[in-house]
Amino acid sequence: MLLTTWAVPAVPNDEMSNMTRRQQGILTGMPFMANITPRTFVDALGRKLFLAKAPSRVVSMAPNVTEMLFALGLEEKVVAVTPFCDYPPEAQSKTHLGGTNPSIEQILALKPDLVLAPQDFIQPDLLQNLDRVKVPTFVLQAAQLEDVLSQIQTVARMFDRGKAGDELAATIRQRIAAVKARTQSLARPRVLYVLNTDPLQTVGPGSFIHQLIEAAGGTNIAADTSMAYPRFALEEVLARDPELIVFPVGTEEGIPDEDQQQWRRWSSLSAVKHNRLVLVPSVLVDRPGPRIVEGLELLAKAIHPEVFTGESPKEKP
Amino acid sequence: MIVHPSPSQASMSDPPMTIPPRPLQTYEGVASWQALRARRWYAVMGLMMLLTCGAVVFCLQFGAHALTMAQLWSALTFSEAGREDVARVILWEIRFPRILMGLFVGASLAITGAALQALVRNPLADPYVLGISSGAALGATIGLALGLGSIVGGLGLPLCAFIGGALSIVLVYGIAASQGRLPMHQLLLAGVIVNAVCSALMMFATSILNPASLYRVVLWLMGTLSAPSILSLIGIGSCLLIAILLLLRESQALNLLAVGEDAARSLGVDSDRVQRTVFLVSAVLTGAVVSVSGMIGFVGMVVPHLVRILCGADHRLLLPVSALGGGILLMVADTVARTVVAPAEIPVGVITSLIGGPFFIYLLMTRKYRFFA
Repeated sequence: MLLTTWAVPAVPNDEMSNMTRRQQGILTGMPFMANITPRTFVDALGRKLFLAKAPSRVVSMAPNVTEMLFALGLEEKVVAVTPFCDYPPEAQSKTHLGGTNPSIEQILALKPDLVLAPQDFIQPDLLQNLDRVKVPTFVLQAAQLEDVLSQIQTVARMFDRGKAGDELAATIRQRIAAVKARTQSLARPRVLYVLNTDPLQTVGPGSFIHQLIEAAGGTNIAADTSMAYPRFALEEVLARDPELIVFPVGTEEGIPDEDQQQWRRWSSLSAVKHNRLVLVPSVLVDRPGPRIVEGLELLAKAIHPEVFTGESPKEKP
Repeated sequence: MIVHPSPSQASMSDPPMTIPPRPLQTYEGVASWQALRARRWYAVMGLMMLLTCGAVVFCLQFGAHALTMAQLWSALTFSEAGREDVARVILWEIRFPRILMGLFVGASLAITGAALQALVRNPLADPYVLGISSGAALGATIGLALGLGSIVGGLGLPLCAFIGGALSIVLVYGIAASQGRLPMHQLLLAGVIVNAVCSALMMFATSILNPASLYRVVLWLMGTLSAPSILSLIGIGSCLLIAILLLLRESQALNLLAVGEDAARSLGVDSDRVQRTVFLVSAVLTGAVVSVSGMIGFVGMVVPHLVRILCGADHRLLLPVSALGGGILLMVADTVARTVVAPAEIPVGVITSLIGGPFFIYLLMTRKYRFFA
C-alpha cells in the first residue's frame, strides 16, 4: 500500500517530465493544470497527493465527508467514520474513531490508503503524525457553496468515479439554481440565525450558513459583522427587527424549544408578532456535504413560504 | 490597650538613664482601625455610591444600537409618545437588566474575593480558589451534555451549575473540617484539589461531548452578562444583599483574623465561627454568581487589592467599597465589551483584565502597598 500511494509535500520539486504535463495541460485547454497529473490531487492546505490507483480503504474524519462518500456509492471503501456520522444510518455500523481527537494508533491499525478530513476536524499534530507515518491524508475545506460541489467531484475522481461525481454535482447545482431562480425576484426578509441564545451568537459573512441564508433569498441581519460566528448585541436585534428567526436543532439537545420561549419575550419583533420562529435540522445546514442543498431548500421554504407552500423538500438524489 | 510611655514620663519615673528608651512601636493596623472614624466611612461610602449611580447612568447611554438623546429621554421618562418605541425596550429590558447584572456580579465577586483573601491570609485568593466555580462549571457541563438546559423555564443551566457548586461546597467543607476545626491551609488545599478534580472531569466530559454541546460549554465558561431574566436578577441581588450584611457583621473579626488567628483568638474573636460563616457565605455567593454569569476572571482577585491600595485594609470599609468598586468595574467593562466592536460583542473577561490590569500595575508601582492592615 505504502509503495503505491504517498503524500507528496507541498514543495513543487517532483521529478516527472515537465514536457508531458505541459502538453497535457495545453491539450486539455487548462494550462494552469499543467503541473498536475490526473492522479495528483491538491488539498486545501496546498499539499499534493498522488494516488496511483483508487483507494480501497478510506477513513472519514467528519460527518460531511461520510455523507459525501456514501452519496457517491463508495460505502464499501469506507473502513471507519466518526461517532458523529449519523447519516446515512448504515454509516453507524462502520468502525468508530474516537470522538474529537482520534487515536493515530487506531487509524494505523485500520491500514487506510486514504484519510479524508476537513481542516476544522483534524488537529494539526494528528495531521503531522499521519504525514510522518506516511498515511495519505487529504484535507478538505469548503468556504463557499460551490466548494462543496468541487469537493464532491474531486473525491469522486480519486476513486475513479468521476462521472458519478459530476452527475451528483450537476444535480445539486441544478437544485441550487432552482432555489435561487424562484427567490431572486422576491423581497428579501430579514433573518436572524440563532446559534446560541445566551449569549446570543449568530452567523456572519465568512460562515457557510450566512451564504445559505443569502442564497435562499433572505437577508442576514448580522451581515455587517466581520466575524464568521460573532456574539451579537441583543439590542441591535431589536433595532433591526428580524422577520424570521431560525433555530438549528440537533439530534441530542432539546434546548431550542426553550430558546423559542426566551425569544417570545421580545414581543416587538416582527418574527415574534407573526410567529415566524422556525427550526431547521442543524445537520442539514452546517455540514458542507451533499445534503447541504436540502438545507438550502428548507431555509428557502422557511424564508419564502408563499412560494414554496404545499411542497416538501425533494428527496436526496 | 497598649500604653506607650513617652520619653518624658520615662525619665521622671525611672532612674536616670544615659540613653532615653525608644517609644514602643504601636501596631499600626490596630491604630488605624481605631482611627477609622465614622465620618470617613460615610464620606467614602457616599462617594462610592455616587460613583456607582454615575456609572449606571453612564453605561445606560451606550450600547450597540446608538440611541439619540431624545429617544433616551422619552424612554427614560415613559412618555406616551414612545410607548411602542424600540428604544424603550432596548433601554429597560436589555440594557438596564444587563447593567444591574454587571453591578451585582461584579460586587459579589469583589466582596467574596476581599473576604477570602482575609480568611486564608493570601493575596492570591479569589472567589474561584475554593473549587466552587469548577464544581459549578462541571454541573453546567453535565447539564448541557444531558440536555437539561431547557427545564425549569430556561433556568435549567444556572440550576445545574448551582447544584454542582453546592455539592462542591459540601465536599470542600467536608474535607477541610474533617478534624473538627476548619484550618485555613486545609481549606485552601481542599479547594485546590476539588478544583483539579472537577476540571479533570470537565475535560473528560468535553472530550466525549458532541461538538454542538461542547460549543455551548465553551461559551458558558467564557462568562456572560447578557439578557438576564428577572428571576436571576432578583436571586443574585438578594444573595448579594444577605452576603454583604453577614460579611459586614464579621468585618471587625476579619480585621483581627487578617493579623493572625492566635492574635484574634486572644482578643476574644470566636475564630472558628467567623471562619465558618465567612467560608459558607462566600461559597454560596460564588456558586450563585458563577451559575448566572459563568466565569468572569480578574474582578474577584484584583479589585480588593485596588481598594486596599486606595482606602486601606480595614475590612469595615474594604468590604463594601470592594463590592461597589467591583460592580463599577464590571459595568464599565461590560459596556466596553458590548460596544467596542458593535454590533458584535466580545467576552467581558477580556475587558476587565485589559482595563483593570494596567490600572493595578500603575497603583502597585506608585503607591506603598501593605496587604494586611
